[in-house]
Amino acid sequence: MSVKYVPVQWNRNKWIYDAVLLACVVGYAWIFLKLGAPAAGATRPVDDAVLRMRAFGSCAFLMLSLILCIGPLARLDARFLPLLYNRRHFGVLTALVALTHAVAVLDWYYAFSPTPPLQALLTANTGFGRALGFPFEFFGIFALIVLGVLAATSHDFWLGFLSPPVWKALHLLIYPAYGAVVAHVALGYFQDVDNPGFALVFGGAALVVAGLHLAAARAGAPVAADPADWLPVARWDAIPDGGAIIVRLSADEAAAVFRNGATLSAVSNACAHQNGPLGEGRILDGCITCPWHGFQYRPEDGRAPAPFTERIPTYRLRLDGAVVMLDRRANPPGTAVTPLALPVAA
Amino acid sequence: MAAVIIDAVRIYLIAGGVVAAVFLCWGVGRIEANARYAFAFRPLIAPGVVLLWPLVLWRWRVVLRGENGGARHRPPRRAQDRIAVALALALPLVLTLGVLVRQNGPLERAPVRLAAPEIAR
Repeated sequence: MSVKYVPVQWNRNKWIYDAVLLACVVGYAWIFLKLGAPAAGATRPVDDAVLRMRAFGSCAFLMLSLILCIGPLARLDARFLPLLYNRRHFGVLTALVALTHAVAVLDWYYAFSPTPPLQALLTANTGFGRALGFPFEFFGIFALIVLGVLAATSHDFWLGFLSPPVWKALHLLIYPAYGAVVAHVALGYFQDVDNPGFALVFGGAALVVAGLHLAAARAGAPVAADPADWLPVARWDAIPDGGAIIVRLSADEAAAVFRNGATLSAVSNACAHQNGPLGEGRILDGCITCPWHGFQYRPEDGRAPAPFTERIPTYRLRLDGAVVMLDRRANPPGTAVTPLALPVAA
Repeated sequence: MAAVIIDAVRIYLIAGGVVAAVFLCWGVGRIEANARYAFAFRPLIAPGVVLLWPLVLWRWRVVLRGENGGARHRPPRRAQDRIAVALALALPLVLTLGVLVRQNGPLERAPVRLAAPEIAR
């Protein structure tokens, strides 16, 4: 939808979401510093500065793990869809917590170096040729840069200016960044910790992220193998009224076939705003409504209602008996297609 | 080497600051209708311009040339699926490596007592 940009589009739900997030971060840090760390069983006593950097480092790691779980969870079970809401604020807060961790590291381990702290960070350990003692700090630097870039480009402006495909491609960096964070922990903190509880929490979080992504990849709708132009979708009465069935046309393209009472319409499954999965949304007020941010499109032509200007491709449909057939050749975005009338009364 | 890298980053960020000043004060309102007469959000996007100024200049040029009507509805879905699966496969390997290389881990070699160096007489 097209409105003047504002710094943050606050509403009551976002205030609640952000307040809960902030309370969890403060609560975690407090519990870690007061209760958790003394039980860490470190090989040597640690002081307050080290405790602080561990509190914020572990908090950022767990936050990032949770963020990466939300996408596959929502794909596997629609009840998790509300967690997607405001995920960008979650990401920005994670970047700030990670930055706090990095500043705490610089202000302690490199504060007394004869060279500037950043220079000391880059030169303190350059043993790239060994596994034990590998300079794990570089994994953290890479992840922090990525988190910073993603947080800095989280405003809606960037989606419009860069275009959703470029923005999305940029934000795919979250995956290598998470891999780098896990390597940062595995080759850093793992080498020092004696309490298996902490290692299990970190390792378990990473394995849950891995498992959920594999499960979501397996659960994805199979790509239609039929090379013909017209593909069978499903029986028309299997499509829920007000909802949709998603058809994957290729590895890069999917269509959503919506039922609106006694008619069917097919549009691209990717929202023009942030490429949200339209087929997981519903028809509200006569418009297909994206489950991510509420962008709306008319089913009959894939255009956002005036005064908005977004458009998505449409597809032609026909019935073969009770089976809905879809023409896989997409129409240009915004092309009107007469909705397919269903034999509802029959 | 480290000093050179830090200097290069500093120069990059200074250039980004210049681009951000021009883009946010002059350019953004001309190419983005939703940014016209909207000023409060601009400081929020300044860090992104500073960090990604080459990308900003490229997109600025694309929009000015009217080439912005591309497939906005086409996400890099294939890449996302592959990257996510690659990450899922890599994570257990990285964690296993972290455990294996611990000094008291399963790959630890038995300590060797070092002999005092022989002193030539």
